[in-house]
Amino acid sequence: MKMEEMSLSGLDNSKLEAIAHEIYTDLVEDACLGLCFEVHRAVKCGYFFLDDTDPDSMKDFEIVDQPGVDIFGQVYNQWKNKECVCPNCSRSIAASRFAPHLEKCLGMGRNSSRIANRRIASSNNMNKSESDQEDNDDINDNDWSYGSEKKAKKRKSDKNPNSPRRSKSLKHKNGELSGNSDPFKYSNSSGINYETLGPEELRSLLTTQCGVISEHTKKMCTRSLRCPQHTDEQRRSVRVYLLGPSASLPEAEGSMENEGFDVAESQALMSRLQWDGSSDISPSDSASSKASTNNSESRKTKKKKPHLSLVGGTPGLSSSKKKKPKPPAPPTPSIYDDIN
Amino acid sequence: RIDEGGSDMSPPAAGCCHVTGFKVENWKQNLRAIYQCFVWSGSAETRKRKAKSCICHMCGAHLNRLHSCLYCVFFGCFTKKHIHEHAKTKRHNLAIDLLYGGIYCFMCQDYIYDKDMEQIAKEEQRKAWKLQAFTPTVVSHYQCTMTGIGEKYSTWEPTKRELELLRHNPKRRKITTNCTIGLRGLINLGNTCFMNCIVQALTHTPLLRDFFLSDRHKCEMQSPSSCLVCEMSTLFQEFYSGHRSPHIPYRLLHLVWTHARHLAGYEQQDAHEFLIAALDVLHRHCKGDDNGKKANNPNHCNCIIDQIFTGGLQSDVTCQVCHGVSTTIDPFWDISLDLPGSSTPFWPLSPGSDGSVVNGESHVSGTTTLTDCLRRFTRPEHLGSSAKIKCSGCHSYQESTKQLTMKKLPIVACFHLKRFEHSAKLRRKITTYVSFPLELDMTPFMASSKESRMNGQYQQPTDSLNNDNKYSLFAVVNHQGTLESGHYTSFIRQHKDQWFKCDDAIITKASIKDVLDSEGYLLFYHKQFLEYE
Repeated sequence: MKMEEMSLSGLDNSKLEAIAHEIYTDLVEDACLGLCFEVHRAVKCGYFFLDDTDPDSMKDFEIVDQPGVDIFGQVYNQWKNKECVCPNCSRSIAASRFAPHLEKCLGMGRNSSRIANRRIASSNNMNKSESDQEDNDDINDNDWSYGSEKKAKKRKSDKNPNSPRRSKSLKHKNGELSGNSDPFKYSNSSGINYETLGPEELRSLLTTQCGVISEHTKKMCTRSLRCPQHTDEQRRSVRVYLLGPSASLPEAEGSMENEGFDVAESQALMSRLQWDGSSDISPSDSASSKASTNNSESRKTKKKKPHLSLVGGTPGLSSSKKKKPKPPAPPTPSIYDDIN
Repeated sequence: RIDEGGSDMSPPAAGCCHVTGFKVENWKQNLRAIYQCFVWSGSAETRKRKAKSCICHMCGAHLNRLHSCLYCVFFGCFTKKHIHEHAKTKRHNLAIDLLYGGIYCFMCQDYIYDKDMEQIAKEEQRKAWKLQAFTPTVVSHYQCTMTGIGEKYSTWEPTKRELELLRHNPKRRKITTNCTIGLRGLINLGNTCFMNCIVQALTHTPLLRDFFLSDRHKCEMQSPSSCLVCEMSTLFQEFYSGHRSPHIPYRLLHLVWTHARHLAGYEQQDAHEFLIAALDVLHRHCKGDDNGKKANNPNHCNCIIDQIFTGGLQSDVTCQVCHGVSTTIDPFWDISLDLPGSSTPFWPLSPGSDGSVVNGESHVSGTTTLTDCLRRFTRPEHLGSSAKIKCSGCHSYQESTKQLTMKKLPIVACFHLKRFEHSAKLRRKITTYVSFPLELDMTPFMASSKESRMNGQYQQPTDSLNNDNKYSLFAVVNHQGTLESGHYTSFIRQHKDQWFKCDDAIITKASIKDVLDSEGYLLFYHKQFLEYE
């Protein structure tokens, strides 16, 4: 067809449509031709076969859609023995426990400074039983529920029958509740979730157990009423919190200090992420998050108290982080005293 | 048909002996001239000239696969065999296709690929591309390519030696629609399910995947082993390796904790927080990739993270007295949306009461939709007498209304449903079901659509021809459990309509229904159509 210059202004719709259609078919044809050339060249130059693979390989990578297996046809949960090498200390660590290891290894965990201080103290003291206690602390820490250290450590000290950590095989999976329906049973989960209990149950529980709520896991301490990790003050406050102002410790004495677990604190602690350097706003200070009229610090979600370093071993302070000044608690004699 | 000899490092060519007659004297220059004038048009003038002068000398057609004789000035169409006639009568055996630049040999009766001639063709094409002004590219649904500026994308071609090797090693990893390549489980390192979900979402972000698989990251960190972007690149290699055993992302964890210390700690964390921190570290480590364009604002460079994830949120504060508007635009990587059931007041109208069907969501009465949340997010808000703003028009403190709209949408939009409530009295998880669509049109929430929303009414019909603001869901991160302890899983999309559930090391097939019925915590949407800026 001949080419001619024409102005589009005088044309009616049907003519314009016809032209548009013509252009469209030309474009489609040209595109098809391009594809033909690609194939032609590939065949002629001998690399057309590259696209293919043998049927066995195709089968290898086919998606499997059967119950009980994943898309690779593998049974679930066979990956218990994976290991990796820590980039920091070059030790070989079980993969599923790499995170808690790394936290200690990098010295950034909640407990790291406490453990470090204790190690320093024990190496000064050269006291064998101290170092045993130190191992015990890691293990008896009821805020972490990792399983036993696979490394051979001498654990001469008594296994506290009240420790939730008795059974080592049950793994705490990502914070899922351990599936333990009976709240009174000692289990390897990190304590008891007070939210699921009614007032009567709580009352009864609190007559036999320490009950102080961990800041981190939000679970109640399942040790005895004289558990050394928490103070009487804390035990008193948790009873007040859970059971009302009239509650008191079974062997109560002393002042009623409403301290301990304070809900409001947790949100005040987690301030906005601090990004270094810039004068202009970073997208990480997303205005969208600030935009809502919700006055609370809404960005804090499941994050527990961050990295604040703790003074080692002062009784009562070790398992909680408080920004407001705490009036000094009368120290109860405990195994931590030597540290100070 | 004739395999040309030549070195093993050269690309395979298939020329013929009949070109020797052509390769005399100034043949290279002549050939270049032909390419420049009649094949690859680099500028508007050459385009015009080509359109005007390239017509068949016999029938006047300008299409029909026009060819130019290589020996003389003659254009003839292929379809009507006019160029064939010319070749026969004049004994000019070579012609060039003006559309794609292929050389046709009339003796061989086939297109031939001569090494030297192809070299010239490639060079001229590259030159022409560089001259060309940008043209918008409409890309097919869910497949995206991003080319560099002025650079024609050329596919990899094996050398002769490589071809030989490949011929002897026929096993390949070929990615088809029913293929596991690109999917891989992730070992939980101890409460790291939040990280695993974000990794799954990022590795299934098409643009990010393309960026890393085409090796676009050039590391400029002092020590590449501490570069998170390099680690991301490795991660993509792992996902496309064809390995079936789950990957152990311990190096990733180590790097993230090293570079974002506020995140470090073994306790359970929030996936959303991790996403923002990871994007920030990646963005900081991307310094080498911004194509030499250093923006003045250190927070908005041109790195791949900014190109994909950064949007602009416009905040308009209107003084109630003088009606002057003060506008600010802030960058964002995510949109956090309040939900009904939180202690903040939700949408004054009941959801879906205006009866409109938006974004294909049917309004089962009472079900909150993502669109409802977005509407609430972009509604004008009266700031109240306790929050007076200093108005520069009135020179005094006045009451005002504030409204947020999207100024610029990112290519990947991440919506964060605020399910974790922390108010003075309450810490809880909001488990209200929020229905979200597979396809989302963001047009009503754009700054440009604002006027029609001034009175809080949604009225604008969706323009089906305008594809700028259409998004497709490609990843969903879900949280099961309570505020204190729970587990994150994710759904990701592969090959357009296949969905998979990622539960740490376990990857299983999922249905679209599974995805859309899930609670939803982080929702990742990808722009359907991409354009150059």
